[in-house]
Amino acid sequence: MTPTSKWAIRGISILAYLSLASLPFIYALARLQQVTGHTPWEALWRFSHVYGATEALHYTLLEATASAALTVVIGLPIAWCLGRYQWRRPAFFRALFSVPFVMPAIVAAMGFLLLVDDGGLLHTLGIDLRKETGLIGDLAARTGWDHPGHFIALIFAHAWFNLSLMIRFVEPTVARLDPAWEEQIGLLGQGRTRLGRFRHLWWPILGPAVLCAASLSFLFSFTSFALVKWLAPFNNTLESLMASYGGSAGIENYRVDTSEIVMSASMVQFLILLAALYLTSTLQQRHSTRFSLISEGGARSARGPPNWRARLIVYSGAGFTLAPMLAAFFASFRVREGSFTSGMAPQWSVEGWRAAWSGDLSTMGVGEALGNSLLYAFCTLCIALPTGWMLASSIHALELQHRPRMAKALDVLTLLPLAVSAVMVGLGVLLGVLKTMPALFQWSFLPVLPHVILTVPFVVRVMLPAMRAVEPEWKEQALVLNLNPLQTWYHGYFSFIRGPAIVASSLTVAFSLGEFGASWLIVRAGSWDTLSVVVDQLMSRPKFDPLIQPAAMAAATVLMAITFLLFFMAERFRSEGDGGGF
Amino acid sequence: MKLNALLLMCVLLFAPLTGCLEQTESNDDCSVLPAGHADDGVLRILTYDITALSETVTDEFTNQTGIPVEMIKVDDAGGILDQMMLTKSAQQADLMIGLDNTYLPTAIENCLLQPHAATPVNIASSASAFYAGDQAIPFDQGDVCLNYDEDALSEANMTVPTHLHNLTEEEWKGKIAFPSPVTSSPGRAFLVATMEYFSYETEGDAMAWWTDMLANDAIITTGWTEAYETHYTGGYGEYTEGYIGDAWMTVSYCHSPGVEAFYAENYTHSTSLMLDHSSFHQVEYTGIINGAAQVNGANLFIDYLLSTDVNTNMPENNLMYSVLEGTDLPETNGYRHHADVPSVVTTMTYEEIDANMDAWLDAWKAATQQA
Repeated sequence: MTPTSKWAIRGISILAYLSLASLPFIYALARLQQVTGHTPWEALWRFSHVYGATEALHYTLLEATASAALTVVIGLPIAWCLGRYQWRRPAFFRALFSVPFVMPAIVAAMGFLLLVDDGGLLHTLGIDLRKETGLIGDLAARTGWDHPGHFIALIFAHAWFNLSLMIRFVEPTVARLDPAWEEQIGLLGQGRTRLGRFRHLWWPILGPAVLCAASLSFLFSFTSFALVKWLAPFNNTLESLMASYGGSAGIENYRVDTSEIVMSASMVQFLILLAALYLTSTLQQRHSTRFSLISEGGARSARGPPNWRARLIVYSGAGFTLAPMLAAFFASFRVREGSFTSGMAPQWSVEGWRAAWSGDLSTMGVGEALGNSLLYAFCTLCIALPTGWMLASSIHALELQHRPRMAKALDVLTLLPLAVSAVMVGLGVLLGVLKTMPALFQWSFLPVLPHVILTVPFVVRVMLPAMRAVEPEWKEQALVLNLNPLQTWYHGYFSFIRGPAIVASSLTVAFSLGEFGASWLIVRAGSWDTLSVVVDQLMSRPKFDPLIQPAAMAAATVLMAITFLLFFMAERFRSEGDGGGF
Repeated sequence: MKLNALLLMCVLLFAPLTGCLEQTESNDDCSVLPAGHADDGVLRILTYDITALSETVTDEFTNQTGIPVEMIKVDDAGGILDQMMLTKSAQQADLMIGLDNTYLPTAIENCLLQPHAATPVNIASSASAFYAGDQAIPFDQGDVCLNYDEDALSEANMTVPTHLHNLTEEEWKGKIAFPSPVTSSPGRAFLVATMEYFSYETEGDAMAWWTDMLANDAIITTGWTEAYETHYTGGYGEYTEGYIGDAWMTVSYCHSPGVEAFYAENYTHSTSLMLDHSSFHQVEYTGIINGAAQVNGANLFIDYLLSTDVNTNMPENNLMYSVLEGTDLPETNGYRHHADVPSVVTTMTYEEIDANMDAWLDAWKAATQQA
């Protein structure tokens, strides 16, 4: 293929994806401008006058910053210990720490609520984060801080959610830290103390990876909705504010106030997240550069098996990761029963599983919903992987051609879907489809569209560093062997990025499985509900019927198990030296 | 360089905006619109998560008529109206089920419904009093009112309020949860009830009362679920995840204590606050969407929904009263016994709600912000 035709294909892919990713936002913004009579810039200026917006912005910035910091505090020691020693089953731990990242937020919220509730793990330790009595109550009374328990629960849940970012970015970097470097710097004056080694060796190498993971944690905590709704019911983030009022936004001559809320909040959120994404992109580029410089020496084998402190840290991390999931699993077997004489009490029962499987309480049973989920996930994979691959290779090609500005602009543009509120995307998709082809609403595969929009940025994040790490000499060596073009491509290029491609695929499938199609696409027929939609459907129903909650937890357990299995299988294809992120 | 990249992105994003600003077509004379979607023989129903419309119920309809049914589900009654408003130019559903009488006037005013040809008989006057036109027809009903935890009041040695003003007193500080009328239909219904309640008072008005309630640390939630499940101490919420239990009173249905008892072997410690004019008689409607493709199927489904077999099961299947004359809640597990029936409910008319709803919501927001 000639360079021109290669660029033509890349150009078409880039344009197609960017249109797909940006048009919903543009449609939504245009409609909101039409309804409110304000331009996007006027909406920004009016932000402070919008109902509840200033409080929401303060809370969002505070919780996102605290969540990112806590993610580093919890995740860094785990990533350090996991990368530094030779563990018997590293793939198991990596898979385990990755599962929370793709869990539907509502499942995570339920898991944490079970932990902080009366009789939950923390409550039995005397820490009441929900009703805020005891220690937490004292803290609130002494400091005048409203609902500190809810805030603490929320940032821990965000840290749980984002833990995999730290593991994925930092652990491979630690694993490649040559022990000889530490010995050498130890001989120098600046490396005699632990602090000295931190300043002059560890931080310069690990810093970009840590900051990259932290900035992504900030980003995902900033756009958090379900966790805020359930764990911090007295506060709003910008996203939850928009979700609360977004339903009636964008309608002419009706509830203009809600359109103003959504427009102003989405503009502020967009600009803040654009800056965060730019920072993330810069940090990831720096991380890739540093990562390619450090040795590939077997640091793990040189340090041998983990000591007791490393074990304690990693096992505690595993416990932290497992706790909410186990809580959800056990809750699927707890059904409340009541009687006129003794009141209500939860009993052990498999009735919740039976109800979940039969679909008596939802639009369909778990088996059928899982089938739909897998089909959507497969379709998403078929589109998102080649699209993300093409985008990543275009960015990398621009970098190789020494066009850094264009590469950077494209890199940030691929991340745009992460900066746009789900409410705006939902509204935009609806308006866009209405404008172009309303018949699409009856097409069962329409939910694949938002799944693709959401997952492509992650494919790019995984593939780009892997492509950067491929040495051009490898391809040249393959050419010397007199192989045909396909064989040259396979042996000189693909075989080096096969691992990240499988990781990207598993991530895409897992994201698609956990995605709430219903929240993204406003008009959609119910006969194609996915597993995560069934969980959401059950959790949203009034729970007078005692079987609803255990049925929701049973559906969530199936989702968790499938996701874990997927990551565990994908880990087998990840090479020791893979530092792709995620 | 960084600034340039950002500017480039902004230009790319906002430049095409002006091209999208076309006006949507209006239908001021409320004429029947052509189908907004292709008629593929499937009846599409726009609804919220109505438990009465289980797969068994819809399958039975398909068996009787040969018409397959597909559900388009939104969060709540407000979501149904929002959806119909947004897709006005190309409606994607044929039948709506679930708009209540606080939303119906807006739907009719905006020509979102078309006349139905269903011929139900035996609709109770309590259901048909609010609206008797041909654009919508009631399918279930119930009274929205304040529920309180009898045990909590008894343990705190508190008396049952005899006036809404009692709730602004110190002993109720932070102990009442209200779903917001801006985002919740029971919240909206209760706002209407307070408007009527204070219209009978010589002192104070509804908005001043709401300001006082917020000053008394009333809890405002996005929806009924958070208010009832997370905050209210009298309901099943204490057995669900995330329960806080800081509210001894909340907005729900007057028959909610009956539903509690029905699912808990006749056990409940929740009851309703029976104050004249403080409850709102909510009626939920079904109607054919203007722009429907399956008008015949929609008419048949209305008849099916109002048939004795389906509608008399509303108390068990949808936790609401049937609209058929001569029906009541079942006695099973104390359902009927624990369900309270207000003697004097609101008499707010269709016209009053139609004319004032937006202004009331704006006033409510201003009043609660003031606090």
